[in-house]
Amino acid sequence: MRVRRWATSYAMLAPALALFGVFVLYPLVGAVRISLTNSTGIGQAKFVGLANYTAMASDPTFWQAAGNTALLAVVSVPVSLGLGLGIALLLRDRIPGGGLFRAVFLAPYVISGVVVAMAGRWIFDQNVGIVDRVLAGTGLPQPDWQSDGTAAAVSVVLVLLWARTGLAVILYLSALQGIDGDVLEAAELDGASAWQRLKGVVWPLLRPTTFFLTVMLVIETFQVFDIVWVMTKGGPAGSTELLVTYAYNQGFAARREGYGSAIGVVVFVVVLAATAVWWRVQRASEDEL
Amino acid sequence: MVHPDRSSAQNTHTTVTGQRTSRRRFLGAGAAVATTGALSACGGFSTGGSKEDGGSSDDGSLTMITWASDAEAAAFKALADGFKEQTGTTVKLQVVPYSEVLTAVDTGLRTDTPPDLFRVSYTDVAAYRGQNVLASLPDADTLKASFLPAFWSAVTDEQGTFGIPHHTDTSMVVLNTAAVASAGLGTLPATLDAAWSWEDFAAALGRIKPSRADSYAFAANWQNAGAYRWLNFVDQAGGRLLSDDLTSVAADDPGALKALTYTRDLFRKQLTPQNASARGQAASDLFLNQTVATAFAGDFLLAEIDGGGFEYSATFLPRDVNASADLGGNALVAVEASEKKEQALKFLTFCAQAEQMGTFCAAASVLPTRSDVDPATLKYPVRPDLMELYVEQAKAIREPLVQQVVVPSFSAINAQLRDRLDEVFLGGDDDAAALKRITDGVASVLKQS
Repeated sequence: MRVRRWATSYAMLAPALALFGVFVLYPLVGAVRISLTNSTGIGQAKFVGLANYTAMASDPTFWQAAGNTALLAVVSVPVSLGLGLGIALLLRDRIPGGGLFRAVFLAPYVISGVVVAMAGRWIFDQNVGIVDRVLAGTGLPQPDWQSDGTAAAVSVVLVLLWARTGLAVILYLSALQGIDGDVLEAAELDGASAWQRLKGVVWPLLRPTTFFLTVMLVIETFQVFDIVWVMTKGGPAGSTELLVTYAYNQGFAARREGYGSAIGVVVFVVVLAATAVWWRVQRASEDEL
Repeated sequence: MVHPDRSSAQNTHTTVTGQRTSRRRFLGAGAAVATTGALSACGGFSTGGSKEDGGSSDDGSLTMITWASDAEAAAFKALADGFKEQTGTTVKLQVVPYSEVLTAVDTGLRTDTPPDLFRVSYTDVAAYRGQNVLASLPDADTLKASFLPAFWSAVTDEQGTFGIPHHTDTSMVVLNTAAVASAGLGTLPATLDAAWSWEDFAAALGRIKPSRADSYAFAANWQNAGAYRWLNFVDQAGGRLLSDDLTSVAADDPGALKALTYTRDLFRKQLTPQNASARGQAASDLFLNQTVATAFAGDFLLAEIDGGGFEYSATFLPRDVNASADLGGNALVAVEASEKKEQALKFLTFCAQAEQMGTFCAAASVLPTRSDVDPATLKYPVRPDLMELYVEQAKAIREPLVQQVVVPSFSAINAQLRDRLDEVFLGGDDDAAALKRITDGVASVLKQS
């Protein structure tokens, strides 16, 4: 009986396991294998052990890309969450054209990242872009969005926020609409101010959503490629180089497939570790409630 | 890499709005998303040729992977038709985007379904040659005398000749006619010998600059994959990036230092926009939107520039100790592992004939690599007057520079050049330290290769 139950379970799991094996496990093992070679993408590669990983340790561009990626996560994730929650709170109540606003905020998230990045590139072009033209018209200084490192990083962050705040808006909006109105009403009857209701009632109930969004946005940050690739190619002077763009550069442009794969493996491990840590922190926090 | 996780994020949304147990599911989903996203760029995902459309086909026909503009595709088709007429063998073209061509070839090689032939940049030939991918040309000695030495050497090593130098292109200075007139530059140098010296060129840019207050005088085409074109300056100054035996970096080379000082001055004197750096915007784009009055541009860009809606002309690259120009263009190669290698090599020989080369070059607006094909007789559809000048400029492509850009690890060297040049063009350290940053980067590549 038990065997039969197991067989049924595994039979039902089989399609998902097959897909996982083909599209996740196989490439993962393949990437790890390639990362241990000096593969150029052509012909036979030699096994080089951990040489690609040790080379990373003394590669300043790798560390610059790692620092940029971490900084992007630290800056963009909280801001995305804050903006998403703020806009969701504004859209929570039924207002005329509410559906239109939701569509407007979600649109950049669902259209191609390359299209968003192309728009960002032209908007922030330092010679003919509309941002500098408007700033010039108002007499304000015009940043060199494409040749000043800080300005380039800011332009990438702004476009990234534009691209993904919509997801936070929609998820927070759904979560807000799922909160029992009686709970808020009870808090109001107990004399809680709007801020106290938000802090003491709404925010704790939004924690699962915040946790999900944080995990997804952190993972996304480690995968940001299209926006940087189209807008800055990692420049100027590496100021917007991220781990994924560097992996692509090394793997394909420089034809160092082994080294590029090793960077990919590092990204994978870091994302997994970050997710696990955040998960533990979140669980401990919920246990306290 | 366009957010592959989006759909999964949206689909799982309903499970996370209030369910504590869903965290594990998200962790699992997160791991899956992270895995595919982080590794797909590096793990060898790619589409390649099949037996039908990319690999060797079973019907006796040859398969060639290439990228091509519409004009080039038609020119390749004409070559294939001519070969079929002569030998009865069909050549099937698999035209893919330029950015995908090497991936398509590599995938075919890895999956034992290689193409019989492919088109490849001169700078990539040695990488394939180093892995014994390319078939040796049996009638090389017969053909050698007909080809210009610089191009022949780009596909030849001590073991043999591995492909034919099918055509070339190179850079010249294109100039906005209105800007030239307002700067009062007068008649432009009309021969290679009369080309501006570096000093003359800088002076010309200096005269253009004040006449275009809201824009810049110049952009060089050293962006991204073209970073190696900075070596034109090095070669013009009589310098080298690599040592004579091509195995190490030529450290503290006076010519390289002189070239670096000159090119950094273009930024320091604001003759070129900061975003025309090595990771910046393409020089041709900056020229077309009239951000710059002059730019270095290859002849293959003339059709695009011609549609820009303003008058333009061209003159020769500036010269210093040497006149020098970049090695552009492509070779056609046959694959050693092809079951139809002999037929593939015959197709290469067919394409290498003077008549076929001339027809192709005229149709595709590129330059011949045979010395006995007179470009003056070719009917170029776009600006034939400027193509004549490009033909002359191509004579300045020098073997010492060619040898340095066709080493097996040149893709990695070019990537280093791009990153390091971008740093030093926009950075503030002194020129000697800036050059060391470049040579150290290239040395690290050579050490690992």
